[in-house]
Amino acid sequence: MRKLNFKIFWVVFALFIFINGAQAQILNWSGYARNYTGMLLTENNEYAILQNTFNLNVEQSKDKVAFKVNPYIYQYPNQEMEIGLREAYMDIYFNVVDLRVGKQQIIWGKADGVFITDIVSPKDLSEFLLRDFEEIRMGITSLKANYYLGENTFEFVWAPNFTSTQMPDESSIWFPELDFPTAPVFDYSQKEVAAEPGNSEVFAKFSAITSAIDFEIMGSYMWDDDPTMHITKTVNPQTMQLTGLTVTPRHHRLGLAGGSFSSTLGGFVLRGEGAYYNGKYFNSEDPILADTTVEKNYLHYLIGVDYTLWDIRLSSQFIQQAILDYEKPIKNDEYENTMTVLASKDFLRETLRLELFSYIGLNNSDALIRPKVIYDLADGFELLLGANIFVGDSGRFGQYDNNDMVYAKVKYSF
Amino acid sequence: MKVKKLQLVLMAILIAVPTLIFSQATITGLLIIENVNNRETGNDMQGDLTMSLINSHGDQRVRKIKQFVKDFGNMEKSIMFFVSPADVRNTSFMNWSYDEAGKDDDQWIYLPALKKVKRLSSDSKSDYFMGSDFTYDDLGDRHPTEDNHKLLREETIDSENCYVVESIPKDDEYMYSRTVTWIIKDKSIGLKKEFYDEDEELLKTLTNKKYEKIKGYWTILSSEMHNVQKDHTTKMELANVKLDTGIPANKFTERMMKRGLK
Repeated sequence: MRKLNFKIFWVVFALFIFINGAQAQILNWSGYARNYTGMLLTENNEYAILQNTFNLNVEQSKDKVAFKVNPYIYQYPNQEMEIGLREAYMDIYFNVVDLRVGKQQIIWGKADGVFITDIVSPKDLSEFLLRDFEEIRMGITSLKANYYLGENTFEFVWAPNFTSTQMPDESSIWFPELDFPTAPVFDYSQKEVAAEPGNSEVFAKFSAITSAIDFEIMGSYMWDDDPTMHITKTVNPQTMQLTGLTVTPRHHRLGLAGGSFSSTLGGFVLRGEGAYYNGKYFNSEDPILADTTVEKNYLHYLIGVDYTLWDIRLSSQFIQQAILDYEKPIKNDEYENTMTVLASKDFLRETLRLELFSYIGLNNSDALIRPKVIYDLADGFELLLGANIFVGDSGRFGQYDNNDMVYAKVKYSF
Repeated sequence: MKVKKLQLVLMAILIAVPTLIFSQATITGLLIIENVNNRETGNDMQGDLTMSLINSHGDQRVRKIKQFVKDFGNMEKSIMFFVSPADVRNTSFMNWSYDEAGKDDDQWIYLPALKKVKRLSSDSKSDYFMGSDFTYDDLGDRHPTEDNHKLLREETIDSENCYVVESIPKDDEYMYSRTVTWIIKDKSIGLKKEFYDEDEELLKTLTNKKYEKIKGYWTILSSEMHNVQKDHTTKMELANVKLDTGIPANKFTERMMKRGLK
């Protein structure tokens, strides 16, 4: 998602369609048009979002090769239009090997709505975690090779160029709360990771699906998608008062090893996922640290269960992040516990769905509660009414307590 | 020698007669249902399934699916690729079912928006398939040993000589109190089936409208399930059926679920 820089691409793409009109009919076209209107539940009832979306998938396959291009447009009546390519890749199929090269979304793990071993595609957090998951996951330019042996799959990904998490603009209502004693100055000079072979990322995974259990084992040598905020303090030597803060965001290398599983037990589906992060940086209040950061390894894991009760699909996950060799000045808690809860039920022959999804932060007693009603007015035509309610006044979700909103989406898929 | 032979024959009759009487009285219904269940359908099958959901006002919604099925001896694997409506296109569903009585199916779904294969619990076989009037059990997922079967009578409908078999679930909590099936004698195909709810009221009627012999196997090509209580109907039509084409085993894998119909 890079704003109007892609205007040229779009013009070229339109020309391609025009020039290749005759051949274009053998391509597979699909996608959707959508209107998304959200209103904050504040006194002034401001709009949280007014967005029109056009998402197009163009695909074709011939025997052993295939390609897909997924351009999209986010048009806003009150802000700059965004045009981008979510995916653009080519496939080559061999007997037991598949190769995919180009910009692609790669999703790993068994967790829902939580990112533990699912770290290949970075996240677009322009709208916090509220976008559809298809829109949160950013494509990365990479080469993916899969080798298949029965029900076993070996997957290897090489990403020559690092892509970081897309954060909200500073003017956005989703820009995270900053906890600084004085207004900082941001120095972005070290934010970018140079596009050179030495800075590439590699990911590997072994996975299997069997009658008894599905599992994945993975490892990666990557960059932390989220930059560490290195903070330099300026102090008046006479008064010893803090006079300024310079925040220098910088990405660090990260090693990661983990796995996930999914299995059934009677009517239950049990899921688990965990990873060991080597070389993660945390902000600390330890005065001896020059730039307020400290390197620690940490664990991130989850256990979840899915089951159906009275035709209501229920799913719950417990997630813990644990910093190893913890030191008290570290600003994050040693253990951060989160839960997710999902309840969903279909009515009217699966044309009406009621759903409630919630993240619950157990450390700060905060939550994001997301009820929604989805009605298929006709095949491929969906009306959605929903709300995003933030509970608490601090923490990952409570910081957005003023952003409670209701929204509607009208979507036509073709 | 003759006496000894006679003794042996008498012993055989003494053992066999009660067995035969018992078979006639209690197993015939089971045998008929098992014959339906074990009817030869080929080693593999592929076809285009069109499912039309019609409500009491006559409004119709259509779902199109490409499906592949393969017999692996003691298990059967199937994979479905959803073609329409557009919002479920490229979703795929894989099922492995086992001959072993009591062993649950294994099921997975691939959701293209999530780009992830998720394992499902197959415990809810009473769930309706894609909003249709067919439950997963109605689609042939029910093992004969899960019901007590009784041959009620023989009857001729649509010029076909049929056995009429009543099946009562062993599990009292099951969604149907009983079903009655008309099975064509010489084809082992169910021609008609009635489903009764927990209050013994008629809930649904299944009618097989079209069946043909393809490559020597009787194959149902068109069926209709009518929910008489809600006045819903679901029509299922199978077209472009191909049998015994040698679908490769790797069609029924996570790799193919993700790749789709490419």
